[in-house]
Amino acid sequence: MGHLNGKSALVTGAGRGIGRAIALQLADEGASVVVNDLGTGLDGQGQDTALAQQVADEIISSGGSAIANTDSIADYNAAGEMIQSAVNEFGKIDIVVNVAGILRDRMIFNMTEEEYDAVVAVHLDGTFNTVRHASTRMREQKSGRIINFSSVSAWGSPGQANYAAAKYGILGFTAVLANSLDRYNVTSNAILPYATTRMIDSTPRGQQFKDEHGKLPSEAAEGTEGDPANIAPMVAYLATDAAQNVNGHFFGIRGNAISLYSHWEIAKVIRAESGWDLDALSTNFKKTMDEGIVQPEPVTVEGSDRPLRGTALQQTDLTSWKTLADGIELWQRNAYFSAKR
Amino acid sequence: MGQLDGKVALVTGGGRGIGRGIALLMAQEGASVLINDLGASLDGEGVDQGPAATVAREIEAMGGKAASNTESVVDYQAAEAMIQQAVDELGGLDIVVNCAGILRDRMIFNMAYEEWKPVLDVHLKGTFNICKWASVKFREQNSGRIINMSSNSALGAPGQPNYAAAKSGIIGLTLTCANGLARYNVTANAIMPSGWTRMIDSIPRMVEQFKDQGKMPSEVAEGTEKDPKHVAPLATFLATDQAQHVTGHFFGSFGYNYVLMSQPKIIKTLRSDHRLSVDELIEWVPKAFSPELAEIKSDPGVTAAIEALPPGQWVEVQPGYKYWGSKLEPWGELTW
Repeated sequence: MGHLNGKSALVTGAGRGIGRAIALQLADEGASVVVNDLGTGLDGQGQDTALAQQVADEIISSGGSAIANTDSIADYNAAGEMIQSAVNEFGKIDIVVNVAGILRDRMIFNMTEEEYDAVVAVHLDGTFNTVRHASTRMREQKSGRIINFSSVSAWGSPGQANYAAAKYGILGFTAVLANSLDRYNVTSNAILPYATTRMIDSTPRGQQFKDEHGKLPSEAAEGTEGDPANIAPMVAYLATDAAQNVNGHFFGIRGNAISLYSHWEIAKVIRAESGWDLDALSTNFKKTMDEGIVQPEPVTVEGSDRPLRGTALQQTDLTSWKTLADGIELWQRNAYFSAKR
Repeated sequence: MGQLDGKVALVTGGGRGIGRGIALLMAQEGASVLINDLGASLDGEGVDQGPAATVAREIEAMGGKAASNTESVVDYQAAEAMIQQAVDELGGLDIVVNCAGILRDRMIFNMAYEEWKPVLDVHLKGTFNICKWASVKFREQNSGRIINMSSNSALGAPGQPNYAAAKSGIIGLTLTCANGLARYNVTANAIMPSGWTRMIDSIPRMVEQFKDQGKMPSEVAEGTEKDPKHVAPLATFLATDQAQHVTGHFFGSFGYNYVLMSQPKIIKTLRSDHRLSVDELIEWVPKAFSPELAEIKSDPGVTAAIEALPPGQWVEVQPGYKYWGSKLEPWGELTW
């Protein structure tokens, strides 16, 4: 008895990597799946229509129910047809998982219009397009699950102006969905995944790995922290009825670890009784905000040629892990909790 | 002696409202300003040469130096030409302020692609276009300031899926600029502005509220806490040399309050020695992440949140000026 028996799902970008793992997991839990994948290269060029069909066949041969779709989510009407085909084949649409994405990395000062347009069209327009059409159905049926894919690159990956803009935009968009569809019992959450997929293959580190090991990182990912299959159970969980109360959250997933993000919070406020002028702001900013502005020591991250601001989980306090059960541990950020409570 | 003497600024959407206030204050502080404004209506229709030229004349009348431009920021080549115009007519470019924006509000389930795309184009692509061409120049000269307008709507305004996506996308773009351009002494920050502008005039609830007065909110804002000019000191401060160390941050301007926001960050992590199954997640996610799953909300109501801060926690910095601070770090996770 699966947790998603009788449900109907669309998974975009499901021909490979994270999307494929999710499609297989949802099917394993009993959902019927529209497997969408354009089958393009990572840069959005070319097409291999067999990919989506292979995953659909895999689901069918394990006794599940699936159809393949090879249209582009960047096309508003094609996205509508994806939702329609789920309704036609499986009677409804309960779950939309937006994984499809491409990369065109470049420093901002060298990025072309085409590199910006292509990445934003697939990630941000594409996520809007499927959700827009699905939300009409979900509102009518008063139930639904939307799971969007963001990325830690949203926090300002230096060479990804296009990708960071799109992936941060997906966070704001997901927050809107959570606030506006809640009354229809539709939940919306975003995932910030870490997985060794062909996106990683395309980085300088990926090529270095191939030189050293004779195969690409994605080809050696199975069973490691970077296995894209690690992302799938949490997505399936969010799609279950049990997760009805989990709405509007951002989850990081890396290996066997699942992280919950805070949202935007007021860190500091300065207030003038009767309005500001520049001199008053300059004086007061130094006395107040600067305390929060002092940057943490730059962190050198493997694979980056420059120190980065900010703190990685690996660099934060590692002493506060608490054992919940045999083999299960919980970490929490103390500064956040002392500020909140 | 102004704090921006000798600098040149480009302010998009500088013809009205928040952009105009910033353009005027930067000019008052000694900057030469290129005012860009298409002069379109709020939904992006039409063109009016008037607003940009009017603000430029206002600056000239107070003894400053200004030029005007009425091209669209959505046009990649026009954005390049704006940077060139600043160099040709005003002698350089040190500061870009991206304010140009339009609104097409609709609930997600009713939104047309024609309402989605133009809003994404003007806000997000328009900001990208200006940042791209400005960063070429800033990198060469090893200095520069990028100030982008986000919005509290980015935090999840229900009727604005297009606007929120664009305005949150701008935060990600700003952080990328901050990280990518730090070595060239360029700073990039985002501001959630507020003020009664014609964007506010377009909200049905506000129109209703002001029906009796016979005026629109934007017409009664001057001199009050709702005056859009209150955003200007913050934007101008970020453009000064004394803000060289302030980069990659997310600020807000709400009436007489300036806010430093904390970015989303990992607050709890559940990990195990194996890949948790769906059954295990059903058991452990609520146990591990309660009560945060119920408490954490994406709330665009920043003004209300400021008002709700406990009065006893405010510290007087000097007479007339107060400060409230939490222990939250303003920066986010950078883990790639």
